[in-house]
Amino acid sequence: MFRGKRRAVVLVAAACTGALLAVVLLAGWASGGNSGVSYLDGNTNAVLYATGHRPLAPDFTASTLTGSRLSLSSYRGRIVVLNFWGSWCVPCRAEAPTLAAVSGQYQRTGVAFLGVDVRDTTASAEAFEHNFGITYPSVSDSSSQITLAFTAVVPVSGTPTTLVIDRTGRIAAAVFGQTTYSELTAMLATVTGKAG
Amino acid sequence: MTDVRIPEADPFDAAADEQDGRLAGPPAAAPGGLGLAGWLRWAWRQLTSMRVALVLLFLLAVGSVPGSILPQQGTDAAGVQQYYAAHPALAPWLSRLGLFNVFGAPWFAAIYLLLFASLVGCVVPRTFRLVGSARALPPRAPRHLTRLPHSAEYSVALGPQDAVRVAGQVLAGHGFRLRGPADGGGSPDAAEPWVSAEKGYLREVGNLLFHLALLGVLVSVALGGLFGYKADRLLVQGSTFADTASDLDEFYPGRLVSAADLGPFTITLDSFEASYITSGSQRGQPSSFDAQVSYTAHPGGPVRSDQLEVNRPLSVDGAKVYLIGHGYAPEFRVTDGRGQVVYNGPTPFISGSSGNFLSEGVVKVPDAQPEQLGFTGIFVPTAVDVDGTLQSAFPAADNPVVSLIAYAGNLGENSGPAQSVYQLDTAGMHQLTANPQVLQVGQSLKLPNGQGTLTFTGYVPWVSLAITHDPGQIPALICGIAALGGLLLSFMMRRRRVFVRARAESGGGSTVRVGGLARTDASGGFEAEFASLADELRSVHRAAAAGGQADPEPDPQSEAEHRQHEGK
Repeated sequence: MFRGKRRAVVLVAAACTGALLAVVLLAGWASGGNSGVSYLDGNTNAVLYATGHRPLAPDFTASTLTGSRLSLSSYRGRIVVLNFWGSWCVPCRAEAPTLAAVSGQYQRTGVAFLGVDVRDTTASAEAFEHNFGITYPSVSDSSSQITLAFTAVVPVSGTPTTLVIDRTGRIAAAVFGQTTYSELTAMLATVTGKAG
Repeated sequence: MTDVRIPEADPFDAAADEQDGRLAGPPAAAPGGLGLAGWLRWAWRQLTSMRVALVLLFLLAVGSVPGSILPQQGTDAAGVQQYYAAHPALAPWLSRLGLFNVFGAPWFAAIYLLLFASLVGCVVPRTFRLVGSARALPPRAPRHLTRLPHSAEYSVALGPQDAVRVAGQVLAGHGFRLRGPADGGGSPDAAEPWVSAEKGYLREVGNLLFHLALLGVLVSVALGGLFGYKADRLLVQGSTFADTASDLDEFYPGRLVSAADLGPFTITLDSFEASYITSGSQRGQPSSFDAQVSYTAHPGGPVRSDQLEVNRPLSVDGAKVYLIGHGYAPEFRVTDGRGQVVYNGPTPFISGSSGNFLSEGVVKVPDAQPEQLGFTGIFVPTAVDVDGTLQSAFPAADNPVVSLIAYAGNLGENSGPAQSVYQLDTAGMHQLTANPQVLQVGQSLKLPNGQGTLTFTGYVPWVSLAITHDPGQIPALICGIAALGGLLLSFMMRRRRVFVRARAESGGGSTVRVGGLARTDASGGFEAEFASLADELRSVHRAAAAGGQADPEPDPQSEAEHRQHEGK
C-alpha cells in the first residue's frame, strides 16, 4: 500500500516536470511556425509572402530629408521598395550601391523606391545620399514611429531592412539585413509578375 | 528551503501515521539488482533528496563566481575583447568552457534545471502529504494518559459517557477537532469511553502555503526568464527612441521573447539637468538628477510627461524605464573639402574612470570628400591645465572644451562587420594633426590640405536608460510574501493534542484522565494552556454533576483536589 502511494506521488511529480518542459518546448517550437511564407534560395532573411498572407503596410506621413511631406499611401497602385537605413550603419553603406543601381534600372517600370532614415542627422544622411548617388527620396524617422509601426507587422530587427510593397499596399517580400542585387531583382520579378 | 522538509521518519507523527496506514519512507539505499525502473526511481529519489538539492545550490553559487570575476559577453563585450588581448592562450579555452557567458552556458543551465527539478520533485509530493496531514483526524487516545508530558486526573460524579461528552463539548468550544471511538473504526468502549482533540491545523496550512508559494516563486522566476527582457538605450536630449529591437542599443530578450513582443512605447528626453555639490568635502558629488521625458504608450496615443530620477523608474506599457547614467554629447559641424556640411549633430561621449566627467568619444564622417574623416577626442566639462595635461575639475560644464585628433582615410565602414560607434579603427587612416587640438565652444579646427573644417558648436546632455520587463516580478513578490506568511504561521502555530478518558468507578461517578502534548513547544506556552484547559474541564464537570446536566460554564475559581503530572 505504501509503495503504491509513494510511486503515485513520484509519477505525479515526474509528470508535472515533464508537462512543464513540454509546454516550454512546444511554446518555443510553435513560435517558429508560420504559414504563407517562403524563403528565397533557403535564406531565412529573405522572405516572400504568398498572396493572401501579405501583411498590410502601415501608412505614414513624414518629412523627407529635403523638407517636404510624403505619405506612403500616395504610392498606392505602385510597387514600392521601402529601405530602412542609416548613414552610420555599415551594411547599409555596403548595400547602398546595389539600391542605387536597382532603383535606376526599375525607374521606367513604375517601381518606386523610398528610404526611411533611422537614428541619423539630416547632414549625415544627405551626405550619404549624395555620396552613393541615391536619387529616390528618404523620410526621416527621427521619432521612430515608422520603425515602430512596421515592427508590429514584420519582424524588423534593425537596419538595413528592405520591404517590397505590392500595388495594393501589402508587404510582399522582405530582406532582413543587407540585401544583394540578385535577391532584390528576384523579389521584384516575383512581385511584378515578370518572373523568369 | 532546508529547514522545512520534514524528516522521512517523524517520531511525533509515527502514531498518527500508523493509524492512517502509512509509514515513514525507507532509506534511499542504492538498488542492488533492480531493473531500469528501479534505477530511475532511485535516481529520482536521489535528485529530490535534500542533500543533492544543497549540493546543487552550492554548485549554483560556485558556478556564478566566474561570472563576477571574468568579463561577461552580454554585459561587458569590450572587457572580453581586452581579456582576449591580454591572455591570448587562455581566453579561447575559457570561452570554450563558456566562462565568458556563464549564465547562458549549458553547464550552468544544467545546474539550475536540476535544482529546479529537485525542488519540484521535493515540494510536490510534500504538498500532497501536507494536504493529507491537514485533513487528518486526531489519533486515537493512548491508553495511558498519565504517561503523556502533561496530564491531570480527577473524580467526578458523572457517568463516563456523560463525562466524555461534556469534555468533548468543552474542547470543541475551544476550536479543537474531535475524534471519538465512533470516528475511527475503534469499537465503542462502554467501560472506558474517550475523546481525542487536536488543534493547530493552521500550522499545516502555513506549511502548505509555504510550499505552494515556493513553487509559485520558481514558476515566477521562470516566467521572467522566458517572457521578460532587458534593454539599454542612450538617449540624447531632444531625441526620441522607440522600444523596438532595432532602436535599442542593447537588447537581451528572454527565451520566448521576440522583437514583436516589445511594448510599442516611445520616449523623448526633453531635458536633463544634474546638480552637484559645489563646496565642502562632498564637492563634485551629485545632489540631484532631473530628466524630463515625454512618452506615448503606443503609436498615436496621448503624449504624457514624467520626471525620471534615480530609483524612480517610469512605468510604461508593462515595462520599467530606469535612469542609470548620464553624460555629455558635444555637438560638431563638419564641412568637407567641397564645402558640403557632412556632419552636424550631437555625439555622445562616454565618461571614463578619470572622474568629473572627462569623457571620451569619436566622430566618424564617412561621407566626407575627398577622404573619409575621423576624430578621436575627449570632452572636458570644467577644463583645467595640470602640468600640460587637460583635467576636469568639476562635473558640471563650467568651462567645457574638447581636445581632438583628426584622421583621414578609410574608416572601414563601407563593408565588413558592424562597428562600435565609440571606437575608431585607424588602421586605414593617417593622422592629420600632430597634437590634440583643444577647442572651446564656437571654435573651429581647420584641417590641413583643404580636407575641411570641424566646429565645436555646443553640447547637450544624454542619459542612459535601462528598460526591463519582468512579468514574473509581481507574482514572485506575492509568492514571496505568501511564503514568508506561511513560514511564520508554521513556526508560530503548534499542533497540540488533548485526550480525555473516563472510567466508571465502583461507587458511581467516574475518574477522568486528561492528557496533552504539543508537537513543538519552543515557546513553552502549552503547559499553561493545558493547565487552564484541565481546570476548565474539571469545573465544568463539577458544575454538570451538581446541576444534573451538562452546562459548559467555566469556573476558574474552583479549587477541588486534583493532581497534575509533569513529564513522565
